[in-house]
Amino acid sequence: MKEIRFEHVKKSYGNTEVVKDLNFTIREGERLILLGPSGCGKSTTLRMIAGLEDITEGSLFMNGKKMNDVPSGKRNAAMVFQNYALYPHMTLKQNIIYGLKVQKLSKEEIQSRLDFVLDMLQLKGLEDRLPKDLSGGQRQRVALARATVKRSDFFLLDEPLSNLDAQLRVSARKELLKIHDMFKQTMVYVTHDQIEAMTFADRIALMYNGELQMLDTPTNVYHRPANVFTAKFIGSPPTNILEMNYHEKSISIGQQSFELNEIWLKHIKQRNTSDLLFGIRPEHVELSTASFSNGYRGKVKYTENLGSNYSVYIDLDGQEVVAASDHKHWYKGDTVYFRPMMDRIHFFHKGTGNSIGYPEELLDADYKNKEESRVLA
Amino acid sequence: MSAFAAVRKSLQLNRENAIGYGLLIPSIIIFAVFTFWPFLYTVYLSFFDWNMISPEKEFVGFKNYMEVLGDPRTYQILGNTFLYIVILLAINCVVPYIFAFVIGVVLQRWNGFYKSALFLPAFISLVVGSILFTWILNPVSGPVAIVFGWIGLEIPNWTKTEGWVILVLSLITSWKVFGYNFILLYASINGISKEIIESARLDNIPLWRIFLQIILPMSSATGVYVFILTIVQSLQYVFTPVKVVTQGGPDYASSNLIYHAYHEAFVVYRTGHSATLSIMTMGLFLVLLFLYFKFADRGIYYEN
Amino acid sequence: MKINRTVEFTWHVIFMATVLVLVFPIIYAVGMSFKPLEDAYNNVLNIFSLHPTLENYITFFDTLPVLKVTMNTFIIASVATIFKVFTSFLAAYAFVYFQFKGKEIVYFLLISTIFIPFTVTMIPNYLIISDLGLLDSVWGVILPQLADAIGIFLITQSMRSIPLSLIEVARLDNLGHGKIMKDIVFPLVRPAVTSVGIWFFISSWNEFVWPVLILKTTENYTLPLALQMYISSEGGTNFTVAMAVSVITMIIPLILYLTFQKYIIGTFTSSGIK
Repeated sequence: MKEIRFEHVKKSYGNTEVVKDLNFTIREGERLILLGPSGCGKSTTLRMIAGLEDITEGSLFMNGKKMNDVPSGKRNAAMVFQNYALYPHMTLKQNIIYGLKVQKLSKEEIQSRLDFVLDMLQLKGLEDRLPKDLSGGQRQRVALARATVKRSDFFLLDEPLSNLDAQLRVSARKELLKIHDMFKQTMVYVTHDQIEAMTFADRIALMYNGELQMLDTPTNVYHRPANVFTAKFIGSPPTNILEMNYHEKSISIGQQSFELNEIWLKHIKQRNTSDLLFGIRPEHVELSTASFSNGYRGKVKYTENLGSNYSVYIDLDGQEVVAASDHKHWYKGDTVYFRPMMDRIHFFHKGTGNSIGYPEELLDADYKNKEESRVLA
Repeated sequence: MSAFAAVRKSLQLNRENAIGYGLLIPSIIIFAVFTFWPFLYTVYLSFFDWNMISPEKEFVGFKNYMEVLGDPRTYQILGNTFLYIVILLAINCVVPYIFAFVIGVVLQRWNGFYKSALFLPAFISLVVGSILFTWILNPVSGPVAIVFGWIGLEIPNWTKTEGWVILVLSLITSWKVFGYNFILLYASINGISKEIIESARLDNIPLWRIFLQIILPMSSATGVYVFILTIVQSLQYVFTPVKVVTQGGPDYASSNLIYHAYHEAFVVYRTGHSATLSIMTMGLFLVLLFLYFKFADRGIYYEN
Repeated sequence: MKINRTVEFTWHVIFMATVLVLVFPIIYAVGMSFKPLEDAYNNVLNIFSLHPTLENYITFFDTLPVLKVTMNTFIIASVATIFKVFTSFLAAYAFVYFQFKGKEIVYFLLISTIFIPFTVTMIPNYLIISDLGLLDSVWGVILPQLADAIGIFLITQSMRSIPLSLIEVARLDNLGHGKIMKDIVFPLVRPAVTSVGIWFFISSWNEFVWPVLILKTTENYTLPLALQMYISSEGGTNFTVAMAVSVITMIIPLILYLTFQKYIIGTFTSSGIK
């Protein structure tokens, strides 16, 4: 079982806890993305897997064996670093095969692995160049190649694409997928870029402040955020989180009220709480110049042109709401009518920030898998 | 199982530790035998009367310290030492600082040539330098005296004149030390981000202000290091011209704490006095070092 | 930087004058070493003699075992350099890549020896060398010079500039420290090691203070000692011979410096003092 399991893993430097009590399992052969803002502990987590950081408390299992005290070199893991960590004094070829030579593989085996990876990552013909004579994209591919030739069970990547420009990133992602399809390693990939996470991950582990916030599929992380942090971190512009008051049949934001449907009313009643925050993504807000029968009225503060669409910043009785609009250009001071899509709204506990969950009736077939939507925070 | 793991963990850590210490052992042994132990032994010797030859050392308590502190010559030499320090600091700290600023920041041509040429004498024996300058500055027949003679100037007989002798020996020492200090300061100034200086230039800040208010504070860690190094190492470098040219004369007028300690030990064989002088020198340096680390800890801007 | 023409010109004049003062003695020594003695006294201002002669070099070779003296100097400088580079490299590697208790204190203690005046260690070291029976021998000069704080410092600085991830990749490949040192760290710090080595060699070549205590007989002398002997024992009469000795003493350091100056200045200017 090429899985990785964290049991109450903690990491602290002196008195600062950078990772607090991690408990989760990375499944064999999956692509798991460790996502989070800088300083959230995601890199430290990856480096603990690699054995480059000591584990302060708890246990880390890989392949079913406890790894806390196993040195890096014996963990059967390959790693790609953000700065690629190519040996500047070795040629491309030497960089790729250096580790294999140390492993004392046969000449033929080394050559065949080398040929294979050079071919796959289009590095043929560059074998004798030094890293300084390669472009950024080529260096990145060399780093991938060097990690790939090891054919290790675990493939660790620390922000591997963050030094590439947008176009190269797209092609590099494809290459990574190709590698993974070929060798089905257990891939753990650290990034702060949610697009990378969404496009690449089987599952996303979102971290903040040294704690795991949510571990789930990209779809669920986007549509069913487990807490306010997840809702705000994923998506751009972020989910609107609004102060609200709960009444028997409706909720009010500012002076204006909004009637909920039966499904939501029942769901909230079951949760037996009224101290809630209201969440809605900008792309799930409908805008109009005419008033809705069940909606809100606000004033446009300003708009941002995002190219493919516009972000409209609206003042709603003192709170700011962002809405996405694809065609209409809204101007400062305009009165705007809008309503949230009833099946796309979120409610969070005000105190803890945790989601109150979603009514059974709203879960599409995709989200029905209870296992998957397990809330972890 | 967990106890076993704990033992293994500690063994693992110990093995790492052991390799680390192992790599340090050669250096530590050399320093222990030829620096730290001798330092302690010199402290020990400062409490004894001895001539380096007799098998008996006589314990005399603080007598050496009393004698050294009671000897007016000690104060003359202390005065010489301070005079050396002041001159050496002016030539080897202040001037190279300004040079490094102008070459590193202001000028755009010949910078490489200046760097190479100024650093060059640091690679040449100070014995050579001492002999050459003694000849060049010979008050009667040296080339400088002859050129000065054309315009009616005389060179004082500096090897025999109190005051002048210290100035000239300091100059000779500076010939050797200047370039090294210059390179260290240049390195530090060169490491300051060009954007900072460029933005100051855009604000029309004059060069002398850039030097005093931007360069000086931002390179101060190196600056203080060079300051201390000038005092500590150039005083030792002075030993060579003193030994080669004047042997401390005339009448101790060119001797300093370092040379005097040597003189006491290896010329008149009073190891007690020599050790005492060395310990006093060390004390002086320690005060300077203490000031350095106090400064360095407090608010000094560290490059990078 | 754009500055006033006159200001720029003034600075160039100042620097040229400084360079002249610093370099003139070296050129002057070369000129003098080829002058007959009376020429040296009568034509002081002619840097290069009208009647160049090799007689100073010949006298020097006749009166001193030149080869022996040069070999002494060379042996001391080479052995001390090799050992210092080796011990400094190992120590720097330990300081940069290991985490062990007391590391900071040991580093601080070693580096602070830069500030210990030599008189503090001079008598005991003399006694140690004397007890070992190494007085008046090159080994007595070499022995206390087998480790060096400046070397540890400069090589440590240079190693710190290697991205740690390079070492981490190697660790993931299960490489031992020996291999990491040999295949990765050493090639990457080679420029620094080379220039530190040259610096050691030249410093040791020029060393005067310690050899003057240890070496007693002419044939065990190093070049700077031989030079001083000419000046102190025979007054001014052999001045031009002394100049020939000076030239011999300077020539190796000069060649090394002029050949490797880019490297050396690079190392000193990139490491920085902190």
